[in-house]
Amino acid sequence: MIQMIATAMAAETAYAAGAAPKMDPLHHFQVVKYVPLELFGYDISISNSVVWMWIAVAAVMTFFHYGLRDKGRVPGRMQSLAESGLLFVRGVVKEIVGAEGARFFPLIFTLFFFVLFCNLVGLIPGSFTATSQLVVTGTLAGAIFIFCTLLGFYKHGAHYLKFFVPSGLPVALLPLMVPIEIISYLARPVSLSVRLFANMTAGHTVLAVLFFFTATLPWFGAWLPFGFSVVFTAVEIFIGFIQAYIFTILTCVYLNDALHMH
Amino acid sequence: MISIAQAAVSAGEHAQSSGGLPQFDASTFSSQIFWTVVSFAVLLYLLKNYVIPPINDILDARGKEIAEDLEKAKKAREDSESTLAKYRQELAAARQEASRILDQARAESNRLTEAAKIDLEQDLAKRKSAALEEIEQAKRTAMNEIKSSAVEVAMEAAEKLIGKSVTKTDANKMVEQAIADLEKDQMRAFH
Repeated sequence: MIQMIATAMAAETAYAAGAAPKMDPLHHFQVVKYVPLELFGYDISISNSVVWMWIAVAAVMTFFHYGLRDKGRVPGRMQSLAESGLLFVRGVVKEIVGAEGARFFPLIFTLFFFVLFCNLVGLIPGSFTATSQLVVTGTLAGAIFIFCTLLGFYKHGAHYLKFFVPSGLPVALLPLMVPIEIISYLARPVSLSVRLFANMTAGHTVLAVLFFFTATLPWFGAWLPFGFSVVFTAVEIFIGFIQAYIFTILTCVYLNDALHMH
Repeated sequence: MISIAQAAVSAGEHAQSSGGLPQFDASTFSSQIFWTVVSFAVLLYLLKNYVIPPINDILDARGKEIAEDLEKAKKAREDSESTLAKYRQELAAARQEASRILDQARAESNRLTEAAKIDLEQDLAKRKSAALEEIEQAKRTAMNEIKSSAVEVAMEAAEKLIGKSVTKTDANKMVEQAIADLEKDQMRAFH
C-alpha cells in the first residue's frame, strides 16, 4: 500500500515537472493507468483513481483499527471518534428510515465512510479524489437506485408503481403529474451522483487555480492566493463531510421511500 | 517507476489535447466501475464483520452498565430514604423518651426536695426537743445540787445554832419544807 502511494505521488511529481508553467486546473482529475488489466475483455486497469479508492478503504480501516485497539468501557479519544461515527450514521438511519432501516445499516455506514474518506484523502497534496470522478459517484448512485427500486418492488410488488401516482390528486391532473413523478424518480441517481462529483470537481479546481497563482505570481502577489488556498482547504474539508452526509441522507430517503412509499 | 511516470505524463498530455473534463474520458469507466464496486464490497465486508459488531458490543455493554448503575442509584436512594425515615422515627422516639425522663427527673427532684424539707423539719424539731430536754435535765441537776448543798449548809447552820446534830433525813425534810414555803411565797408573789 505504501508503495502504491509512493508510485502515485511519483507519477504526479513527474507530471508536474514535465509540464510547462501554464494553468491546468483539471490536471488533478486526470486518470492515469498504472497497471493495465483486463477481465473478460473489459478494461479493469489499476489507475490512480483505483489506488486512492483503496487508500480511502485502508484509511477507514486504520481509523477504526485505532478506534478499537484499546477498547474499553471508558472510551479513549479514538474510540470516542469511532463510536460517534457509528452513532451518527445510526442516528441518520433511525431518523429517516426508522426501525426497519437497521437491516441496511451496514450498507449506509459503509457508504458514508467510503465517500467521506475518498473526499478527505483527496485533499492530501499529490493525491487523487475518486469521488471527483462522475463514473465513481455514478456507480454508487446507480447501485443505490437499482437497489432501492428492486427493494420497492420486492416489498410492495406492483403496488410500488403507485409511488408515481400522488394521492389525493384530481384525475385530470394525473397525465401531467405521473410523468413528472417518473422523471423526478429517474433523476434521483443523476442528481445524487452529479452533486457529489460536481462539488468535488469544483472545489479541487478552485484549489488548483489558487495553487497555480501562488506558484507563479511574484512574492508580493502570491500571498493572496496562498492565503485563500489555506482557507479554501479548510472549506474543502468541511465540504467533504457535508457531501458525504448529504449522500448518506439522500440514500436513506430513497431507502425509506422504497420501504414505506412516502 | 520511471516508465509509469512517463506513461502518466503521456496520458496527461493526451487528455489535454482531447479537451474537456478528464472525468468524461470513457476509456477509464469500466475499470473505475469495477474497482468502485469491489472496493465498496470489500469495505462493506470489513466494516460489517470487524468494525460494527465490536462497536455495537461496546455501546450495548455501556448502555447496560448505565442502566444497571441507574437501577443501583435508585435502590440506594430508596435505601437512604428508608434509613432517613427510620432515623427520624428513632429521633422522635428518643426525643419523647428524653422529655419523659426529664419530667420524671423533675418530679423526682420535687419529691426529694419535699422529703428533704420534711426530714429537716423533723430533725430540727427532734433536736429542739432534745435540747429542751437537756436544759430541763441540767436545770434539775442544778436544782438537786443546790438542794443538797443547801441541806448541808442548813445542817451545819442548825448544828451551830441548836448545838445538836440534825440527821440527814430531818434536814432533807426541813429543806423541802423550806423550799415549798419559798415556792409558795413565790407563787404568792406572782399572783
